[in-house]
Amino acid sequence: MANIIRIGSCLPRLRLERRAMAQAMGWLVPGAGAGRGTRTLAFWDEDSVTLAVAAAQEALGGDSADSLTFATTTPPFAEPQNAALIRAALRLPALCRTQDATGTPRATLLALQAALEGGEPALIAAADRPVAQAGSTAESRMGDGGAAVLTGPGAGLFAYLGGASLSAPFLHRTRASGAETALDWEERWQREAGYQAQVPPAIAAALDRAGVAAGAVDHLILPCPIPGTAAAIARLSGLTKATLAGDLAETTGDTGAAHPLLMLAAAMPRIAPGQIVVLAQFGQGATALVLKAGAGVVDHPGLPALDHGIPESNYLKLLAFQERLDWDRGLRGRFIVQEAQSTAYRNAEALLGFVARREAETGLIRFPPRLDLPGEDWPLADRGGTVATATADRLAHSRHPPNCYGLVDLRGGGRLMMDFTDPGAADLAPGDPVRFVFRVKDIDETSGYRRYFWKAVRDTGRGL
Amino acid sequence: MASGIMDKVAILSMGCSRFGERWDIGQEELMREAYAEALTRAGIEASAIGAAWYSSHYDDIGAGKSGVPMAMALGLPDIGVTRVENFCAGGTEAFRGAVFAVASGSVDIALAMGVEKLKDTGFAGLPTATRGTLAPMYLPTHTNPGNFAQLARAYEAVHGIARQDLKRAMAHTSMKSHANAVRNDKAHLRKPITIEQALQAPLVADPLGLFDCCPVSDGAACALVTTPEIARALGQAEPVLVKAVQIVASTGWEAQQQGWNGAYVHTTRQAAKAAYAEAGIADPRQISLTELHDCFSITELVTLEDLGLAEPGTGWRAMLDGRFDADGAQPCQIDGGLKCFGHPVGASGLRMLYEGWLQLTGQAGARQLGAPHSALTHNLGGAPAQNVCSVTILGL
Repeated sequence: MANIIRIGSCLPRLRLERRAMAQAMGWLVPGAGAGRGTRTLAFWDEDSVTLAVAAAQEALGGDSADSLTFATTTPPFAEPQNAALIRAALRLPALCRTQDATGTPRATLLALQAALEGGEPALIAAADRPVAQAGSTAESRMGDGGAAVLTGPGAGLFAYLGGASLSAPFLHRTRASGAETALDWEERWQREAGYQAQVPPAIAAALDRAGVAAGAVDHLILPCPIPGTAAAIARLSGLTKATLAGDLAETTGDTGAAHPLLMLAAAMPRIAPGQIVVLAQFGQGATALVLKAGAGVVDHPGLPALDHGIPESNYLKLLAFQERLDWDRGLRGRFIVQEAQSTAYRNAEALLGFVARREAETGLIRFPPRLDLPGEDWPLADRGGTVATATADRLAHSRHPPNCYGLVDLRGGGRLMMDFTDPGAADLAPGDPVRFVFRVKDIDETSGYRRYFWKAVRDTGRGL
Repeated sequence: MASGIMDKVAILSMGCSRFGERWDIGQEELMREAYAEALTRAGIEASAIGAAWYSSHYDDIGAGKSGVPMAMALGLPDIGVTRVENFCAGGTEAFRGAVFAVASGSVDIALAMGVEKLKDTGFAGLPTATRGTLAPMYLPTHTNPGNFAQLARAYEAVHGIARQDLKRAMAHTSMKSHANAVRNDKAHLRKPITIEQALQAPLVADPLGLFDCCPVSDGAACALVTTPEIARALGQAEPVLVKAVQIVASTGWEAQQQGWNGAYVHTTRQAAKAAYAEAGIADPRQISLTELHDCFSITELVTLEDLGLAEPGTGWRAMLDGRFDADGAQPCQIDGGLKCFGHPVGASGLRMLYEGWLQLTGQAGARQLGAPHSALTHNLGGAPAQNVCSVTILGL
């Protein structure tokens, strides 16, 4: 048995206003933009892999793991294994058991249960950037986000007391391989024959294994986009005093595989040491995990990114960022990403792990490293730097013009021409501090192939 | 100890096609247009040419890589044709090859040709370039306006120049070149503009607006070089001599280490220093005219300083004062420069030499300067942080 050591999270900066979704699509689909508030919107270069990497960096906090599971319903690649890229970006040891867990957002808690019961230091990185039909209720309810958890034998945020998973061929949402959007079955059936019928038995079995009475549970964390359902499940499960964790519906929306962990992170300020938490998730069955808060919960920052979003009122950005709009890219936008895989692999440590080399003879730090020169690895991902030169280029192809880039002086030595990303990149000027984020570098329009690299964003000092 | 190239090679003749949007002809015809002029002016037969150098950057678009396209297009007499490519310095690179061949004594007469057929790419501006396999995996998707906009922002920051002052100096730079090109019937752009027009143009990459950027053009230019003795024997009493040819390529220092402040071009300073030493020039302000690589107005301002024609941080003011206008103390871009003569990448270095040769031999027609005795040409290929720079000096 292991414990939950650390939880990390990553929310895209943009928060798409549901009002804007309704204005854009309501004339065509009456329910467009359903709900209030906002949902998170991944920038064009954020996907489930990059969101998972950012969340996992926070969860690792400099520690390592023997295994890595990437949980998602929206993996960028059907092949290769996405977790292999995430491991390389995180610079976890090569002796690491990596796997993708997909098919249901519950993949996250299935992996977490296995990790907690396995005992080894394990990293579960969960993220989703879901796609739904334009104007659909699902599109409005969904959001983009990543979360990660590190488990291990040490004391941490939560001790694991027990858990249970049950499986059911309950196909409330179906999406064939290769299909972009899912088909959802009727909501009332989902709620009554699905959530309310399957989650309570899982909670009961988990509590039984944990030796905890239902009435002793202090918090229930259960993602459920159907209003009122989580409360009904608490009642049905006899969780008489449990506080329901906020579902973040009006800020992030349902972030799929990431959501139970994001809800847990957001609930942390209200969880006291010694309290009992049930973390549950639904999807072709249900999983429930019983946790006991440790002393470390008081130091957890919660989910501060909730308060640092940028309101977005242009619904078309969602379609453009999700590559669902056949917009006029011009000739410069029509380029093929013909990846030389042998080159990429030879330089994988540099490109995915963002590692330069400090050359032994001269002491110079150089990126990309010269593979034939002796020297020491010089990791850059956490260093950050200072903008030396900058431009906002309106001629270069960009999915969010202008294309912003410039020379960055790397903290500790060396310099690199880098992309600047996220809204506001055009405001970066020489002298500004930046930190580095792992993002999509290029996408091939015809094959869908994408390459990843590190980019610079303004360092606000908050790590956001 | 190398003795340098000074006075060992003469320009026998040069040729240049009309630059511009040459929808009428292809790369082969462009080469023949320039070549015919050079042969006619030289008064020699093609059989006298012993070797040739061929510069084209986007050659896969035009005629195909290798020396064969040029040998076929010109019907050269079964000689070696070396195809060279060195970004925007390619034309000068071809010239250097031909000059070295003559200086070595291998051949009596050598041909250097540069050509580009850019308007068949469909792009406004230079097309997206291939950068090998590794670079696209980490370098930003960039354009040259974006690269040189960084030079402008660093230049104003390092020297404390107000944005409106820099914009006006850049506008004057372009206005001056437009005015010069009106008198050049081979130029791509022959319409005068006002400073206000330039200032009001839409931004391409802040702070560079549309009139701060040179066009991309179709065009070809070529040189026939020989020994001074042969040139005289062929009737040239005072042939134009090559005083210096220097090319410097970035080592990666500027882009990979932190010593460079982004407000100048290191290779230009190095190439200029070497060229002045080779040509024995103590004060570059004595050079009669300059044709420098004004791919962007900011490049011209910074290059004037890097060449020693203005003190660092003062080039913008000297430009506003008119020092580099046609009637100024140091005329610059008298043929319109890249800005208005046009910029067929692989040909531009030879186009500059063409103007220098015309001026020194008194053949520049309506734009002829008084009695110039020397000319400097400068190419900058790539970006300010990583590039190839050439400096060539011609004299009588």
